[in-house]
Amino acid sequence: MKKLSIFLMLIICLNNTYSFAVDKPTELENKIFKNLRCLICQGQSVYDSQSDFAESMKIVVRKNLKSGMSEKDIYQFMRNNYGEWVLYDPEINKGTYLLWGLPFLFFLIGGAIILRKLGVLKR
Amino acid sequence: MIFNYIGNYSTIISLFLSLAIFLRSFLKLKNFDQLIKIDLKKLIFFQFFFIFVSFISLLILFLNSEFGNITVYNNSHTTKPLFYKVSGLWGNHEGSLLLWLLILTLTNFLYFSLSLSRTTKERLFTVIFQQIIIFGFIVFLIFTSNPFNEIFPIPKEGLGLNPILQDPILAIHPPILYLGYVSTSIIFSSSLSSLILGNVNSDWASHIKNWILCSWIFLTGGILLGSIWAYYELGWGGFWFWDPVENISLMPWISLTALLHCILVLEKRSSLASWSIILCISTFTLSVCGTFLVRSGILNSVHTFANDPERGLYILFFLFFIIFLSLVIYFFYEEKLSISNKSFGLITKESHILINNWFLMYFLSVILIGTIYPIFLEVISNQRISVGPPFFNKLIIPFLIPFLIFMSLGPNLGWIKSKKIEKKLTLIVFFIVNLFLSFFILKSIGDVKLFTLLLLTANLYLFFITIKDFLKKGYKNYSQIISHFGFSLLILSIILNAIFSKEIIANLKVGEELGFENNKITFQRIETSTGPNFEKIVGVFIIHDQKGESNKFMPEIRIYNKPEVITSEAFIKTSIFKDRFLVINPIKDKTYFNVRYQEKPLMIWIWISTLLIMLGGCIKFLKNEK
Repeated sequence: MKKLSIFLMLIICLNNTYSFAVDKPTELENKIFKNLRCLICQGQSVYDSQSDFAESMKIVVRKNLKSGMSEKDIYQFMRNNYGEWVLYDPEINKGTYLLWGLPFLFFLIGGAIILRKLGVLKR
Repeated sequence: MIFNYIGNYSTIISLFLSLAIFLRSFLKLKNFDQLIKIDLKKLIFFQFFFIFVSFISLLILFLNSEFGNITVYNNSHTTKPLFYKVSGLWGNHEGSLLLWLLILTLTNFLYFSLSLSRTTKERLFTVIFQQIIIFGFIVFLIFTSNPFNEIFPIPKEGLGLNPILQDPILAIHPPILYLGYVSTSIIFSSSLSSLILGNVNSDWASHIKNWILCSWIFLTGGILLGSIWAYYELGWGGFWFWDPVENISLMPWISLTALLHCILVLEKRSSLASWSIILCISTFTLSVCGTFLVRSGILNSVHTFANDPERGLYILFFLFFIIFLSLVIYFFYEEKLSISNKSFGLITKESHILINNWFLMYFLSVILIGTIYPIFLEVISNQRISVGPPFFNKLIIPFLIPFLIFMSLGPNLGWIKSKKIEKKLTLIVFFIVNLFLSFFILKSIGDVKLFTLLLLTANLYLFFITIKDFLKKGYKNYSQIISHFGFSLLILSIILNAIFSKEIIANLKVGEELGFENNKITFQRIETSTGPNFEKIVGVFIIHDQKGESNKFMPEIRIYNKPEVITSEAFIKTSIFKDRFLVINPIKDKTYFNVRYQEKPLMIWIWISTLLIMLGGCIKFLKNEK
């Protein structure tokens, strides 16, 4: 009888731990979720959204990570499926050279003007 | 219905008054004073008065829920609480534009009454430029977005206001933000007028500084309110999303902040005149540009509530007109600017203000390019890209490190020439102490990355230097110290918040428990009740923490009746160390709820530090008045 009750308790405990077990997203997963746009929402990332679309995206990302894809592979995969629109962190390519480059260019030009004003660069 | 007519005609009258004021100022400038003998001040007052009447008429229409008016029909509902009937007025495009005009004419009147110390010519030119802007916006209101359009047959019930806008903070957010946006128009007009008259000098600088401070304070406040609202209402636990509309409000703010510093150099050293003028122009242009981008609906954002290509086109045209006008004036009268070719010394206050402007302009360019580049790319090559938080974080955060260091050093330097850097050694030793301090802080978390280390060091450096300055004896520039301290506190809170935030997301049903870092979250029961215009489901959660204390959390799901929308109201327990944030969302399978629990350290300090930044501005404003 005692053995049985212990056995039962154990089962209950186990069941409880099952309800405890939530598949907590890892840091990498969160990073990826934050970088994916939820396509049916207005300007929300998959991480922030609770829509069905976002939830299924999360499942896809997890599955792909488990199957051994790297972070980059996943972005590539998402881009092939949904286009570049889905990535919040635009990749550097022909279309985005200016996007990444212009701010630095402005910074350098500004720096040159200031150095001249400060008299470091003589005309 | 009578108020529909009153409102409509009042706006038309103020349109004509706009022409009258324009003509009157023009004649007075040309010394044809005897032709018309109407007092200009009265005209300006009446223009404000008629816009005010029109505003009040719309308000009465909203209060009486007269659905014969299409704006009221689209944005109100009889069961809505009184407070939101009022805020519903500016919770839509037409009404918010009327509010914009109300503030525009009010600031115009205030400027004219308060600028008696300036020359008549300067005031007249400013009024003329103001009238061009006011005229443009009244035409925009009447022809593309008239709030007084009628609808027939008169509907019995309105469509209601978007529930996420039914919130006390969001109700006052637009007026405050608009006060900031709109008063930049005075800065713009005044700068053009003094450019024409060739009196961009230190005298003008100390006059316009009050307007700059004033709009800077309101703009900061408006952005703060919007951010607080996004934090608790959107339910994601974040406070800044690099959403296009947020970016758009930040751009004039950065430009204005640069101007606020640059104008000091103009005031004290009579230098940087042309740069100040450019900043004055760009600040206002960015404000209008913001209106264009939001109203045209070309941005994909949570905030876009009205979009109509015709409106976008009009504002775009208006924007180009303003830019064109100011450029023409700038190049015509540029030679009147007293350009000093004197170079600044390296270790002076003015050189550090220049460096401040340099970095601020870089931040501005990152945000500007990041926000509008996707639009251009889509038009040119049909390629759709998203530019989100990772982009901005990558380009902005590294540059904060030198920015913070210059920010700590600059204020303690003197104008023109500093007596060497006093206590050079102390400053370096102080920096090294901070380096160690940040190292130990990060070490205790067990996550020392060089980049975070440097950022934290630079920030703590500013933090302690401002404290040291505050405690120092002798003359102190309180406004500067408080604002800079506020900024360092803001960055510190954001860094620590980002490092220490924890969260758990799970699907739970009633009776289930969830373990989280020694906390136990129990989903006890759900209750349902009825609000004024919504039904709500309240989830009752008990959270036991490691100290054995238990707290009750009651997040809500609201189902609004008109329009039928479901929103989640987060339950937030705030303390000085951390916010505990619980939000639930319904999921398809009705027995389960999506539960998101977050611990966000130092959240309240993000708001407090922004208030401190504003407080610094207020002190400066009050001191200048005397």
